[in-house]
Amino acid sequence: MTTATRVNREAGHQPASRRRRRGGGIWKVALLFLAPTVILLFVLRVIPTIGAVIESFQRSASRLAPPRFVGFDNYVDLFSDGDFAKVLGVTGLFIVIIIPFQVAIAVLLAVLLNERFPGLGVVRVFIFVPVAAPAAVATVIWGVAFQPQGPINAVLEAVGLPGQPFLTSPDQALLSIIILMSWIGIGYWTLFLVAGLQDIPIELYEAASIDGAGWWRCFFSITLPNLRRTLSFVIVANTVASLIAFVPIAILTKGGPADSTRLIMFDTYNNTFVLGDVNLGQAEVTILLIALIAITALQFRLLGKEKS
Amino acid sequence: MSLPNKIGTTRPRRVIVAIVAWVIAILFALPLVWMLSGSFRTKGDLFSSVYPFSPNILIPRTFTLDNYASLLNGPFALSVFNSIFVTTVTVIVGLLLSSMAAFALAQMKFRGANIVFAVIVLSFLVPFDAIAVPLANVFRDWGLSNSYIGLILPGIANGFAIFVLRQFFLGIPGELAEAARMDGLSWWGIFWRIYLPLSKPALIGAGFTLFLFQWGAYLWPLLVATKPSVQLGPIALANLATSQEVNFGAIFAGAVLLTIVPLVLLLVFQRHFTASLASTGSKG
Repeated sequence: MTTATRVNREAGHQPASRRRRRGGGIWKVALLFLAPTVILLFVLRVIPTIGAVIESFQRSASRLAPPRFVGFDNYVDLFSDGDFAKVLGVTGLFIVIIIPFQVAIAVLLAVLLNERFPGLGVVRVFIFVPVAAPAAVATVIWGVAFQPQGPINAVLEAVGLPGQPFLTSPDQALLSIIILMSWIGIGYWTLFLVAGLQDIPIELYEAASIDGAGWWRCFFSITLPNLRRTLSFVIVANTVASLIAFVPIAILTKGGPADSTRLIMFDTYNNTFVLGDVNLGQAEVTILLIALIAITALQFRLLGKEKS
Repeated sequence: MSLPNKIGTTRPRRVIVAIVAWVIAILFALPLVWMLSGSFRTKGDLFSSVYPFSPNILIPRTFTLDNYASLLNGPFALSVFNSIFVTTVTVIVGLLLSSMAAFALAQMKFRGANIVFAVIVLSFLVPFDAIAVPLANVFRDWGLSNSYIGLILPGIANGFAIFVLRQFFLGIPGELAEAARMDGLSWWGIFWRIYLPLSKPALIGAGFTLFLFQWGAYLWPLLVATKPSVQLGPIALANLATSQEVNFGAIFAGAVLLTIVPLVLLLVFQRHFTASLASTGSKG
């Protein structure tokens, strides 16, 4: 459904005459109810965004020197410097792996949770606890588990497999972070997919049953096509969440080893607060914000569709 | 008759479904069980149980509450208290402000209401962490660093909370408000005495969203709450894990303490959360 028709339908709740009669005073009442939120919108979103954009066009010679306007210099520096290309590469790789991985397991789990079996409620809680606990909890627990002399290697070696370096190896660190973050995230995305499965009209399956279709046929011809909207929402929302992945990097790897886990959110933090290059950091924040606003706008549209 | 959208149509197939689901659930639970058992171990037991492999990897040979006792007598206790306080205020104030905004956006059909709605929800849907770095500079200039207000403010405006509440309010028949207006009830009265009491499921969903954001917050407290007096739980936990002398027992006990609160809420609101959170949807 297009935005226009949705707007019309919502406006249709009240007849036009009544709206006109009330029209004058309602602005003021609405403003009072909205005032705290609008003030927060300015304080928490508008002011820092404007600040970041302005500072991204400035540069100071030293911490105390007044900043001067330098145009796109910070952006040029960012893109001509190989480091930022590396950050984009790592972030891209991270997203390309983590999203299909999480979505595939979440679909499997949603299908299983849609069945009936003993202990369904307990299974649901187990899968969801990692979502509800702070990311720092998951991070420190997996941090210990991933140690070279930790429990995962203990189990691997007990069954005769070689121990793995995990977070200490440039080849495995990003994958280890992906496993950790999937442990947190999968339960969350599963919830949406369970709700999506339950929204599929049962009549479709009844008709398929009469036609003699089996489970696989139904899954590919009915379930997946009808899950398309939920799946797109999950993929988009997951992209947003993965772009701002920060906690495991900040606690466990600090972007290393050999920059292999230098994701963009950590890099903006690192540039601004650790390396102290505020203006370069703000240019990076601005780029990240533009990407996130674009993706979130898409997510917002999907959210609207989901409801209508 | 069972429909072809279910796998478990025959008894053996039902058994397979149960086994697969349970295996996955156990894989998810293992780190939690390991964390819980580790929090009760003595130092020596912990050290020998982690590596190399022994059958005691999950079951402690010793049982002690020392890890908890030493944590709760140290600065970690304050950080847990800070987290509980900051999160409680965030959920209460956040629910009030979000439902007020949602009420205005759902009930009042003024010109441009839909644009205002899109701007507000979209702004607060863009993940807060992305703006946290520049906002931390603003808050420092305003003297809000290292204060409870500085920690709470970012959590109380949440796009998903406003969205789900407005969606719920739209489903409440307009005639109800109309009749109340005729009887002389103010807009605030309609909001407070009619809409809020009717909206318990949506309030629980939105409240859980606000809770998750603030209880799990890491980047923001890392930026603005550097003093020990306003330190939050996740930061204190990370400090335990990255300090010079790593004490596994303390890390496990701290992790358990920070997991208990959401776990209890999860069990209490089990029934509500699957339905409401799926329609709210936000993990900070």
